[in-house]
Amino acid sequence: MKRALVIVLLAIVAMPLLAAMAAMPRFGSAEQPAYTHVAKRYLERGVEEAGAENVVTGVILNYRGFDTNGEVTVIFTACAAVIAVLAGSRNRQDQREAASSVPESLVVRYVVRLLAPFIALFALYVVLFGEVSPGGGFQGGTVFGALLIVMTVAVSRNQAERLLPLRIRPWLQIAGPLSFLAVGTAGVVLTGWYLGFPQGATAATRLMLMVLEFGIGVGGATVIASIFWRLGDEA
Amino acid sequence: MWWQWPHWLPLAVLVPLGGGVVTPAVARGSARRAWGWAAGVSAATVAVSLALVIRVARGGPFSYAFGGWQPPYGIEFRFDEVSAFAFVVAFLGALAIVFSRQYAPHALAEPRVPYYYTLLLLDIAGLIGFSVTGDLFNMYVFMEIVSLTGYALVAISGERIAEMAAFKYLVLGAVSSLLALFGIGMLYGVTGTLNIADAASRLGAAASTMPVIVAVALLVLGFMVKAALFPLHVWLPDAHAIAPSPVSAVLSGLVVKLGLVGMLRLYGVVYASRAVDLSSLNWLLTWLGAVSIVMGAFFAIFQDDIKMMLAYSTISNIGYIVMGFGLASQYALVGAAVHIFNHALIKSALFLAAGAIIYQTGYRRLSDLRGVGRGMPLTAAALSVGAVSIVGIPPTAGFLCKWYIALGAFEAKRAAFGFALVFGALFIFVYYIRMVNAFYFQEPVHADVTHVGDPPLSMLVPVWILAALCLIMGLAGKVPLTFVAPAVSRLLGPLGG
Repeated sequence: MKRALVIVLLAIVAMPLLAAMAAMPRFGSAEQPAYTHVAKRYLERGVEEAGAENVVTGVILNYRGFDTNGEVTVIFTACAAVIAVLAGSRNRQDQREAASSVPESLVVRYVVRLLAPFIALFALYVVLFGEVSPGGGFQGGTVFGALLIVMTVAVSRNQAERLLPLRIRPWLQIAGPLSFLAVGTAGVVLTGWYLGFPQGATAATRLMLMVLEFGIGVGGATVIASIFWRLGDEA
Repeated sequence: MWWQWPHWLPLAVLVPLGGGVVTPAVARGSARRAWGWAAGVSAATVAVSLALVIRVARGGPFSYAFGGWQPPYGIEFRFDEVSAFAFVVAFLGALAIVFSRQYAPHALAEPRVPYYYTLLLLDIAGLIGFSVTGDLFNMYVFMEIVSLTGYALVAISGERIAEMAAFKYLVLGAVSSLLALFGIGMLYGVTGTLNIADAASRLGAAASTMPVIVAVALLVLGFMVKAALFPLHVWLPDAHAIAPSPVSAVLSGLVVKLGLVGMLRLYGVVYASRAVDLSSLNWLLTWLGAVSIVMGAFFAIFQDDIKMMLAYSTISNIGYIVMGFGLASQYALVGAAVHIFNHALIKSALFLAAGAIIYQTGYRRLSDLRGVGRGMPLTAAALSVGAVSIVGIPPTAGFLCKWYIALGAFEAKRAAFGFALVFGALFIFVYYIRMVNAFYFQEPVHADVTHVGDPPLSMLVPVWILAALCLIMGLAGKVPLTFVAPAVSRLLGPLGG
């Protein structure tokens, strides 16, 4: 009975949504406003104006860089929220060390150790080449964060944690917002606007984009790993 | 002049944002250092946002183009009279942080305290960003910062019931964010722009109105969940009552207003473009506002928990503001916009005073708190000033805005709603009388309540600053009313009203 009611309700809600979707500008059509207004300039002049060969990177770091400034803050907020809600609730330090020193499987452990440097290298590649090819700080950071999680599970948590020393971890977690604040301030000095980049693909622009990508990557990886470890403390 | 420096506008967001993220690193685990840092950052935020208010009062609205990209290509911050909410946010946020000095170490586990300040500062940054941005997607980004910090701040005390309340808040909040995001996406699909002013000029040319109607409906629904309009309020009472008191003050005074400021922005787009006729939406909002006033007051009457009562009272007050929006006349909208500010002051005063009482006595039910007026005379007096204001008795801050909304009802030739408003105020009067009666005139149940003494100065001073403002804003009530009037005229201008 309840399920039938829910289905009827969903159908009623779906109808106006479907009707609206049907009346939207045709998906993929070159004449729709999403392509002819703002995006047109990004596509036509983005490469020379924004200083990144990858137009997507140009949009998220340059044209709409401030949104990304907010997004990296959201990512850190998620981390701060998890720590704030779980910190000091249960301290299972001793048990954890005892449990994590026993590897699940020697084969898995060996393969992970073998692959770890390559995964790390790939993460770095994705971060640094986000400016010219698909990828960037978010993706590269996620790859590195995943590596830390795999190491925690298959090798040992202590070894994984050593890569992000506890003493500087609060700074690594905020690498994303901090890199934006630094580059944004540099933009004020160079162009007079927060997050302003010098026109075109100058060395300064490339350096600023690189700093952002790197900050996003380091921050993202640290946040992913910190959340994972914090949740592990709780289990 | 110093306030004309263009970079104050981004700094109003970047100061609490940057200060917030570095708090744990600066505090290195010490609650005292975290407090000092957070208090400094929030004081700086107040100074910066004051510069913005001075500038808008002297010269009208102004913009900041991030990265130097002129709108609509880049992100624009647009500071108008409604954005002056940013100053209220900074000011109340700073008072909540000062209040937390002794409250936070008492209510939270020590390692959580630095993160508590981080979340509070980020919440402030998000709210300021939301009220000053001129870009639809940027608005969503700040809405997410505010929502995420809100969920965590409700759960931070670590009690089981707080975690449950936070989870309920999170589920409904996430759904409402998604609805708003979907609406923003549809508006982008129809107009090809995310800039609010640009969208307003392009929306009228939309090929079909159906997507616009649905987009507006989704955004309104999303914002009204955030604002906790009846019947979308179910997440609010538990979350606001169970959170630590300074957080309750911020959530009830400021965070629910996010949906209302968002509504004003949306109205700006739709009214200016005349893409769709909003009269049926306004009719619905007027009714829901009236129902919200009465239902909020009705539930509040049956609460024994003092913070639960205050939480339901927020639902009533959101009803007043939404009713003002729905009436869509000059008076009603001015009253509603000013009530966004004034309710923030009053409700923070009430929640902080209630928090101080709970901190000192350890009780939170009215039946246990009988006679507390003798034990904590200054705090109970501040709470009474707040109660008188929220009922709307002249000459306090609550009176003029409610009066304007009632005038607006008459102006819109819908006098019945004016009477509904007065009736609601009577209802609200009843339960605040109950509170004042319990504090001063009933025999104490617990003897210790009558001689606990007032709380430490870090709590008493913020409470009394707010209580004094409840009185000052009542006496100088014309100032905010004339301040927001130009924004409302601009909003209603295209309607020929």
